[in-house]
Formats: sequence, C-alpha cells, structure tokens
Amino acid sequence: MFVTDIRKDFYEVVANQRVALMVATDIDALCACKILQALFHCDHIQYTLVPVTGWQELCTAFLEHKEQFRYFVLINCGANVDLLEMLQPDDDSIFFICDTHRPVDVVNVYNDTQIKLLIKQDDDLDVPSYDDIFRDEEDEDGGDSGNESDEGSEPSEKRRRFDEAAIERRIERQRARREWEARRREILFDYEQYEYHGTSAAMMFFELAWVLTKDTKDMLWWAVIGLTDQWVHDKITHIKYVTDIATMQRHVSRHNHRNEDEENSLSIDCMRISFEYDLRLTLYQHWSLYESICNSCYTSCSFKLWTLNGQKKLQEYLADMGCAGFTLPLKQVKQKFNSMDVSIKENLREVIEESSNKYGMKDIRIQTFSVHFGFKNRFLASDMVHAASALLESAEKEESNTTDNFIKALDSLSRSNLERLHSGIDLAKRKLLAIQQTVASCLCTNLILSQGPFLYCYLLEGTPDVKLFSKPLALTLLCKYLLRAFVHSTRNKRCKLLPLIMAAPKDVEKGTVIVVGIPPESETSDKKNFFGRAFEKAAESTSSRTLHDHFDTSIIELKTEDRSKFLDALITLLS
Amino acid sequence: MDPSEVEFLAEKEFVKIIPNFSLNMIHLIGGDLGPFNPGLPVDVPVWLALNLKQRQKCRIIPPDWMDVEKLEEMRELERRENAFTPVPSPYYMELTKLLLNHASDNIPKADEIRTLVKDIWDTRIAKLRLSADSFISQQEAHAQLDNLTLMEINTVREFLLDSLNCMYKLRSNLQPGSRKGQFTDH
Repeated sequence: MFVTDIRKDFYEVVANQRVALMVATDIDALCACKILQALFHCDHIQYTLVPVTGWQELCTAFLEHKEQFRYFVLINCGANVDLLEMLQPDDDSIFFICDTHRPVDVVNVYNDTQIKLLIKQDDDLDVPSYDDIFRDEEDEDGGDSGNESDEGSEPSEKRRRFDEAAIERRIERQRARREWEARRREILFDYEQYEYHGTSAAMMFFELAWVLTKDTKDMLWWAVIGLTDQWVHDKITHIKYVTDIATMQRHVSRHNHRNEDEENSLSIDCMRISFEYDLRLTLYQHWSLYESICNSCYTSCSFKLWTLNGQKKLQEYLADMGCAGFTLPLKQVKQKFNSMDVSIKENLREVIEESSNKYGMKDIRIQTFSVHFGFKNRFLASDMVHAASALLESAEKEESNTTDNFIKALDSLSRSNLERLHSGIDLAKRKLLAIQQTVASCLCTNLILSQGPFLYCYLLEGTPDVKLFSKPLALTLLCKYLLRAFVHSTRNKRCKLLPLIMAAPKDVEKGTVIVVGIPPESETSDKKNFFGRAFEKAAESTSSRTLHDHFDTSIIELKTEDRSKFLDALITLLS
Repeated sequence: MDPSEVEFLAEKEFVKIIPNFSLNMIHLIGGDLGPFNPGLPVDVPVWLALNLKQRQKCRIIPPDWMDVEKLEEMRELERRENAFTPVPSPYYMELTKLLLNHASDNIPKADEIRTLVKDIWDTRIAKLRLSADSFISQQEAHAQLDNLTLMEINTVREFLLDSLNCMYKLRSNLQPGSRKGQFTDH
C-alpha cells in the first residue's frame, strides 16, 4: 500500500528499531541512501547497509538478514515484481520500498500489511482498480452447492427443472468469469507492458527530511544529484526533469535565503548551492573546453565529429566564436578550463550559446545546479553524477568487488572526500573518451545493423575498453550516445525511429553477453521501454539461457551461443 | 602532553546553545545540565554542544570574546606589549578551531575571526620562542609564565625541557675535577 504520511507511517515506525537498508547500485539510490543515513545518524537509529546489484543478491541478502531484522527498507529495487512471492518472508517482516521503477506491481500496491510503498501517488501511476484485478472467490460456487443440497429433497420432476436453471446459472457465471479474466489479462498486459521511471528516490527522502525539518544543504545537494542522475542516464522525460528542477529550486532559494544576511556573510567554507543555466558540455570545468566539446554527446552528435567534415565544422565553430567580437584563441580552448583567462570565462556561456544557435544546437544550455565550497571547489551536479557512476562501475582492479566500489562511490558524494571525487572525475573522463571512440568506430565500420523492428549492435570481444562496457550503467550510456549519433548520421528516415538493442561481452569465462534495449530517440519521447517483456517472451519461446537479474527489466544476461536464436525470436515477436 | 589531550581538556569549557528539543535535567558526573527547552538558551560543555550540533539538534551561540572588534583590539594590544597579555579564554585556540570547524554557519564573519585568532597566536608564540631562547642562553634560573595558555606551554614544553637537560649535562661535564661524566680522561 502507499504510505500517505511519510513521517508517521515510516520514520516514527523505524525510529527505535534496527533497520536493514538494501540499496540498488545506481546513483539515485546512492544519494537516497546518503540522505537516509544522515537522518539515521541524527537520531541514532541502527541500520545495516547492504548494496544489491540484482534480484539474486537481494534474495541472498534477505535470507541472511531475515532472522535479525523486522524492518527492511529497499531503495530503487523491489517495486516492479511481486516481492512477497519472490522473498517468501515471515508474516512480521515489513518492507518499505522507495523505488523509481514503474509500473509498480499490483500485488505490492494492494497488499495492506507487509508492503509499504514510499511513492507519491500523484506520480501518474495508472494503477488498475482493485475490482478489475482481484475478485473474491467465496460466493462463486457456494450458491450452487447450497441450491443443490436443498434440491435433494424435492420430487424428481421439479428437481430436473431446478437442475436446468442451476446449470444455466452456473454456465452464465462461468462465462462472466471468463470475460472478467480476459479483461483482467488485457488490463494487466497494458499496465505492465512499458517500463519507465518515476520521481527520484533521493527527492522522496529529501522531502521526508524537510517534513522532519532536519534538511540540510548537504541533503539538498544529494537530492539534486539524484535528480540529475535520472536525467544523465535518460530515465525521465525532459518535462518531468524541468518540473522537478523547479521543485528543487524552491528548496534551494529557501536555504539560501535563510543563511545569507547582509552584514553577517557566511564563511567561505560553507556550502553554497546555486541554480545555473549552464552548458551541456560534460565535465567542462574539470577538462579543457575543447576536450569537453569533443566528448559530450550533444555536441559530438550535432557536429558528427567522427567524420572529417565534422572536425572541420568544429574548427569553424571555434573560429566563429573567436570572431564574434571576442577573442577565443585555440590555445585557450585547448588548455585546462581553470587556467583559461578570467575575462573569457565570464562571458563563455553566452558566447557559446550564440555560436551554437548558428550551428543548429538550440539546447546547448540546460537548467541545473552547482555547488561551491572553499576557494577552489566548484562542481556541477552532472559532474558529480559522472564521477560517482565511474567509481561505482570501475573495472580498474580485478579484485575490487561491488561492495568496495559501492562504498567508494558513496564516499565520493560527501564533501570531505575530495580526492575520491577527483579520482572519480578522472575515471569519468576516461570512460567518456572510451565511449566516444567506440561510437566513432561503430559508425565508421557500420556495426549497427537494422534488423527490421529494431537496430542491433554487437561489441566484439577485441574492442578496446570492452571491459568497461560489461557494466549496465556504462553500457546504457554508450547505447544512448550510439543511437543519437546514428540518428544524426543516417539518411534512412525509417531507421531514425527505431529502438536500439546492444550486446557486449560480460563474462568471458562463463561465455555470457549483456544485452540492453533502449527506446527510440525522439524529441518528445516518453522514455517508455517495452524491451523488458519482449526479452522475457523471446527467452521463453526459444528456451535461451538468460538471466533477468537486473532491476531494470530491459537489461539481461545471455549465453553467447543463444544470441542468434534469441534475436530471431525478438524479430518475429516485434514485427 | 599531546595536543589532542589539550583539546580534550578544552572541551570541558561551557558554551551557550539554543536547542530545538526538550529534555529534563540530565545528571552527569561532572555536574547537572539542562533542562532543555526549544528556543531557550542553555549552557552546556563544548563536547555536548558539538555532538548536538552534528545531530542538528541545536544552534551554537559564539562566546562573547569571539567578535571581530574585540579580537582586533586584543591583537593590537598583543603586538604592542612585550610581555604576554591576558587571553580571552584559557582555551581560545582550541575553542576557535572546534567551533569554526563544526558550527561556522552559526558564527558571523567566521573567516575574519579565524585570521584574527591565528594572528594573536602567532604573535604570542613568537614572543614565547624569543623568551625561551634568552632563558636558555642567559642561563636564567626562573621565568614568569603569566597569561600563557596550556596549548602554548605545550608547544615549548618538550623542547625547553630537553634543551635544559642537555645544557645541564654539558655544564656539569665542563666543571674541572668532576668524576661524573664519561668525557673526563687521563
């Protein structure tokens, strides 16, 4: 059931208890976890933190902890399957689920005792009504059997007539039942067909902190990072992002207003969050402007930087910026952003926007937030997202397991761990370079094939940096960039509207590949992904050996040998 | 003595806070604290104030001496005098560090205060070094330690005592006819 008063029904319930926190491995979940940890520290609530990467880990973790804990909080996992059936808990275990995955499973919605959903109900959920799906089985055949026992004492003629009437009633009931079941199947199919994402979990927990009046600037910043993660990894629509930014902006102005006084200005070490209408160039403040333009998805796809023409256009663009009554020599553009002249940095955004408009890039600026503490620490929310996700999935050392990476990424989000954050930014730069190179090579060697209802690309094992792409977040980012680049480079109008499926080798010893499907690229896309169900059906029909372990149903693991028959099944299914 | 031990002793000093919760009086070994009422100022030791601040349960009010003008006056006085001037608080350095690290959003003009306190500290340590130097070289027998705080004494203590011991050893070996040291030889 949905929790209406988050303070009374969630926080005060767990206030004196020990809680197990199961957190999925994405940045939004990490931010939500940080906010919740800060709240728990304030009130000395004991908790155990368990990072989980998939359903199997969730089940194992649950089995390990179910003896000691009664209350479980699940962050960004658990809403889209029938949790009670999967985990088989005891009757006194209570689950608080704060998950962005939609659609929420109907059993989770209508269970009144054990499952509490920390999800806002106005989040356009479209949950089917109770009567459409569940039906009391009691009065079904009770009426019939009662009639039959009564009729036992009647004389035989009347009994025959009553029998006929009873049989007719029964047939009628069975037909109504079959119709109801058919309608139920249809409703459930429509409801569960598309997978999408709702409001960020970090924002939900920030609201909890706000209701408790324990919200600090740190928590606000984490909520902003959670929201930006949803935007960077393309999980929510642009309209939703802008609406949520407006909500966050209200909180930001409230905090800024409360702490800034004319005479007593704040220490430079205090954290300042400000709203920015900043450039869409990834990591540009920690890189050189030139590198950032070359490696950001938006600019690289608009210029088509994998072609020679594209490179020339980039040079023209830079020269154009230089000619717009404003000197921007190439030397300045290629050095580290921090070392650029202050006079250039001040007007940079306006100049870039003006030039970009001439080259068809109308949305070079995006609404976001930045944080500022100390004299030289200035970060945009998207910088933090890229750094943390690079740390979360770093394949640097062979022995590092998911828990270590999780803790490292979690640490990089606090203000006191700046070296961790900077190492994350370096990893993120390498990841972006790898993505750009892979995109360029895929397009130049025509690795993207049109299979009819979708586009397909397979990364061969020898591709450089292929280990980086065995992780879901990195592969999804690559997928998104690749699709965007393909749409910009192809002339085939029909291909521009196709979704993309991408496969990359995951585990060489076990011989598996990771397969990701993303919806088609369009301006007004509602980001609804139907590949989850499609993958399940295709796997069933060909009995391919698949593992639907990830919380996003559109990401699966598949045995390399079953690849071709799986794809054929998908093609038949979707055409 | 370790500087962290001096800091630990400094945390016993009292500071005013404004809590946002209510609690009856608490009876501790060191004394009674409270009662705590939301919005009403109460005096608590620094260790408790910092713990409550980190749990967002109070707002710390800076002590009276932590004010830009007063500290500027003290700094000027310190620079003019040759001897040590009276300090704002026997633990002024530790309190400044603790309060500014954890509660700088409750203290107005925190950066200037940090600079001023550092200036005062630097002046006093310079005077201390000069006087320790003259103490050793002129072989004085006693010195006056007026207005020195524990933290400042702690910085010179080890050096001063070691060097005095060394001087004593050297001096006793220079005495003619002494049989004590191992440097005498026939």
